[in-house]
Amino acid sequence: MKIAILSGKGGTGKTTLSVNLFSFLKKATLIDTDVEEPNSHLFLKGYDLLEEGVYKKHPVVDDEACDYCGACGNFCNFNAIIPAKKKVLVFQDLCHDCGGCKLVCESGAISYKDKEVGKLYHSTIAKNKKFIYGNLNVGEVSGVRIIESLKEISKNEEILLIDSPPGTSCSTVAAIEGVDYCIICAEPTPFGLSDMRMVVELLRAQKQNFGVVVNKSNLGNDDIYQYLDEENIELLEKIKFDREFASILAEGKILINHSEYFRNKMKNIVKKVMGDNCDQ
Amino acid sequence: MKIAISATEQNENSRVSDRFARAEYFIIYDHDSLTFKSIENPAKKEGSGAGGKAVKVLGDLGVDIVLVPELGPKALDALNAFEIKSYQYPREKTVREVIYMYFEKKLPELLVSTSKGRH
Repeated sequence: MKIAILSGKGGTGKTTLSVNLFSFLKKATLIDTDVEEPNSHLFLKGYDLLEEGVYKKHPVVDDEACDYCGACGNFCNFNAIIPAKKKVLVFQDLCHDCGGCKLVCESGAISYKDKEVGKLYHSTIAKNKKFIYGNLNVGEVSGVRIIESLKEISKNEEILLIDSPPGTSCSTVAAIEGVDYCIICAEPTPFGLSDMRMVVELLRAQKQNFGVVVNKSNLGNDDIYQYLDEENIELLEKIKFDREFASILAEGKILINHSEYFRNKMKNIVKKVMGDNCDQ
Repeated sequence: MKIAISATEQNENSRVSDRFARAEYFIIYDHDSLTFKSIENPAKKEGSGAGGKAVKVLGDLGVDIVLVPELGPKALDALNAFEIKSYQYPREKTVREVIYMYFEKKLPELLVSTSKGRH
């Protein structure tokens, strides 16, 4: 079973939920797909560390062979390749590696070159517990390639948790693609609710099954509960805000090892989402 | 000689734009025929690479000089490739005023980019 944890708004508790659900399960793999700002690794100390590069191609133009017809520039949706007077400009960071410019080039002037866009970090946390996270290189525009690599590597995992990026952009869509269930980690503030609505819209458009965990449930207001009720969305669990939790998290510790309350919350969520699917 | 100016409206009396490649319009002044033409900026809503696209549009129109508020590094690369020179105008002026300033040599030429690009 593949489960994505996402939020819309940042800072609602995706990573807290992800690493604690992961720690609660006896057998699971966790991937952190928030490659622009990965942070699950701050909580998970593993061994057998392995690092690998993720590469993206970008066009290289042979100015001698080019006849400056302009087809590549007209084709590119991202303005990554712009034919000028005597040379063709390539903006590597704008390129989405679709391969289109080479297809439309009739003079055969375009070839491709690899560029590292980020890295994957593999580790083993315990027996039957694998953790992989991706990190996008500074200056790169899109982390989708890295997220796709993470998804590809983990596609055969029996129990997979996906710590997803915030928002509803391409990165989030890539992270949740092909999962069996999505857990929205929301907070009961106007901002939290507003961003969650966008996630709900996204998940409905993608025909995903999902439920909501309201984190910091003793803060904010009750609008979120009314919304869940009106929209007929399952409320999986409510988790209170507690300064003690914040301080445990700030030390990089796993909450379920320090709070029976939190451990029970994870247990309920796992039960509701996975049913008999898992061995705890 | 053609000069393009980033503008907020479609005529030479409009205020100049605070952005180059995401300006609403470009006013193109043709110094040979002494005429003005305006075009809607097709690059203004691009998801990425507005600078390069705007320069390509102006280059294809045969523009020799652009008057701009600021320039990102990609726009500057593209201007160099199209052999278009750029000069920086102060804000809050009109298109007509900055053209006069250009001919009075009151506008500094931009040889390095002034901003990092804003996407």
